[in-house]
Amino acid sequence: MNLTKTINYPLITLIGPPNSGKTTLFNHLSGSSHKTVNYPGATVEYSVGKFQEKYELKAQIIDSPGIVSLISHSPDEEVAINSLFSNEKFGKSDLVIVTVDSSQLSRHLLLVKQLSECNFNMIIALTMIDILNRKGFDVDEKKLGNLFGCDAVKIEGRTGIGIKELILKIDENLKSNNGKPEKRINLINNNHDALIETFKQIEQIENEILLPAKQSSELPNVYEANKQLKMLVDIGKKAECHKIDTRTLKIDKILLHPTWGLAIFFLVMGLIFTSIFWLAEPLISLVDNFFGLISNETLKLLGYNWLGDLIANGLISGTGAILVFVPQIIILFLILGTLEDTGYLARGAMLIDKPLSKIGLNGKSFVPMLSGFACAIPAILATRTIPNRRERLLTIFIIPLMSCSARLPVYALLLAFLLPPESAWLGGFLLAAIYLFGTLSSIIIASIVNKFKNKFLKANDNSSFILELPAYRAPKFRVVMNNARASTFTYLKKAGPVIFILSLVLWLLTTFPNVNPQVNLAGFSEEQSLTVIKAERLSTSYAADLGKLLQPAMAPLGLDWRVGVALISAFAAREVFVSSLALIFKVTSYENTLQNSIVSAMRQAKINGSDKHLFTTSTVTGLIIFFIFAMQCLSTIAVSKKESGGWRIPIFQIIIFSSIAYISAFAVVNVLRLFGIN
Amino acid sequence: MKSAAQLKFGEKVTIKNVDDSHPSSRRIIEIGFTPGQEIELVNKSTFNDPLAFSIRGTLIALRRNEADCIKVE
Repeated sequence: MNLTKTINYPLITLIGPPNSGKTTLFNHLSGSSHKTVNYPGATVEYSVGKFQEKYELKAQIIDSPGIVSLISHSPDEEVAINSLFSNEKFGKSDLVIVTVDSSQLSRHLLLVKQLSECNFNMIIALTMIDILNRKGFDVDEKKLGNLFGCDAVKIEGRTGIGIKELILKIDENLKSNNGKPEKRINLINNNHDALIETFKQIEQIENEILLPAKQSSELPNVYEANKQLKMLVDIGKKAECHKIDTRTLKIDKILLHPTWGLAIFFLVMGLIFTSIFWLAEPLISLVDNFFGLISNETLKLLGYNWLGDLIANGLISGTGAILVFVPQIIILFLILGTLEDTGYLARGAMLIDKPLSKIGLNGKSFVPMLSGFACAIPAILATRTIPNRRERLLTIFIIPLMSCSARLPVYALLLAFLLPPESAWLGGFLLAAIYLFGTLSSIIIASIVNKFKNKFLKANDNSSFILELPAYRAPKFRVVMNNARASTFTYLKKAGPVIFILSLVLWLLTTFPNVNPQVNLAGFSEEQSLTVIKAERLSTSYAADLGKLLQPAMAPLGLDWRVGVALISAFAAREVFVSSLALIFKVTSYENTLQNSIVSAMRQAKINGSDKHLFTTSTVTGLIIFFIFAMQCLSTIAVSKKESGGWRIPIFQIIIFSSIAYISAFAVVNVLRLFGIN
Repeated sequence: MKSAAQLKFGEKVTIKNVDDSHPSSRRIIEIGFTPGQEIELVNKSTFNDPLAFSIRGTLIALRRNEADCIKVE
């Protein structure tokens, strides 16, 4: 984003406890103009936006991860709190807006109290007023404001009522506050007794500001309820207000059932995965075909020279290689976001905490691991919510074993080779088996690593699982969409450049130095000539020279250097394996799909100089096993290094996962051959 | 003294104090488990761990060993 243009705008930071309606408010204020940015020096994400034009307020607003208190408990909280005191990139904020769930006053006012003690210039935004009203209560926001010496405004997130007043207050505050930098002090007294004392004061405040709801035409039932409540209000009002949503309790009776809870959980997860593949597959082939088409058309348009080849096979195919994963990533994050917004994801983490803690992970590892099935990069970033460092490192360690979407095209191709076309249903079944196998292996590897945790992970702190289970509610589509979009952009920003550059490097290596090889083209049709030229160019290219060095490593797997080149190029992104195979095995004419063309080329490929088939049932099965384990993604290595704070974890990942990949592929190929399956 | 980890389903009790020595104790207090508050065991995960308590109008899931540092009357 253009920082210089907006640098003189006042800066407003939005903070609040988790589930306090902070992000909904942020979306109201900034519309869809915001961008996702990383915290300086860390990869925790936050959103920065400008106020929507209709508010006529020139200011920047930062949304930050939810925090319970100003004393941090996990890495993401620490970054959020540090940035609150002073954001390295944007400096000190001029104003802090703190969201408070009005039906949770006695818990959420803790943060307000701490901010007030630290002398922040703030405005309190009271959210979820509708929920409080439904309980038969209202809140005196003027009194609350007076008690803290700041403004307090009621906001209804669903309808946007109160936003205008909030804007007015922000405007007044910024104008009156000009040139008067507040002095922020750190929390001095934060021992347990002081905390408990603070809570007592908060309870006092809650008693003062909580009122019985006024009669309202919109809420006809409330008045009747109030008549009965009025007598109780003074003595029992808090007890009433602290009642839990009965619908939530009823749903939890089923979803958090001690016996069935976990079974339902696995069923839900199973359904999610199946639906992701069903929904994403047509979109993936759409993107794939689209880029295949423009690549071909460009080549025709520019002619079959090196420039046309660079643009069509280097630039356009490189872009396609990045965008082909986008459908699956968006769909996964849409489903994840929907589950999170309904409140089920927190329950999922609770249900899986015990089994995961047995292997050194945490219930909070669950969401990052799930994201790993789309892409390891946003998944590794998501581990920031795990407070325990060792559990966090172990989660980062095993995330690359979750079969990310980049592996899907590879599996699809290899399974298409293994299976006759008429048994496509078997492909879906085997694919599910591959995913299950990958996940089970990650569990086994995690538990083995956990055995050696003291040597390996070098961190020892308190393992903890404390999580609020929010009331069930209908998901807000806009919030879910925004989050999915943000995660997808993270992927594009992190992985995009690497994949793109490596695609170009691969193009260079496979094209040069012999760009225009001299071959005898007599007797060939135009199309055949192109194939012959391409083949000659490749077999005399730098890639071939490099690939031949790999020959000794590939031979035990029953493969040759050409597959080695494809495996190396898969370091850009695993699915590049497919397009490099196409390049290396000279697939020029499309049958109905690229995949079918590659499969036919694979069936014809012979091991150098012999008439033995290169791709057989055993070697292709070996390749599948190799892809399940191999740590073959430069972007993941980079993010893993940054997030784990050193080279230790990524180096272990490369060594351990690549050895497992190679050894198990070798074993599979030779065992199959022993049983006569060639 | 009885702890929150020993509660039965639906049993409502008042918190007496939170054991200072537990490393999670500060966060447990911050999230609302303070002396004098009424809590109720609402849900148990499979394997009876973590446990979900109602406190101050919301549900909080805690590990059994963390719930153990919440002493109740």
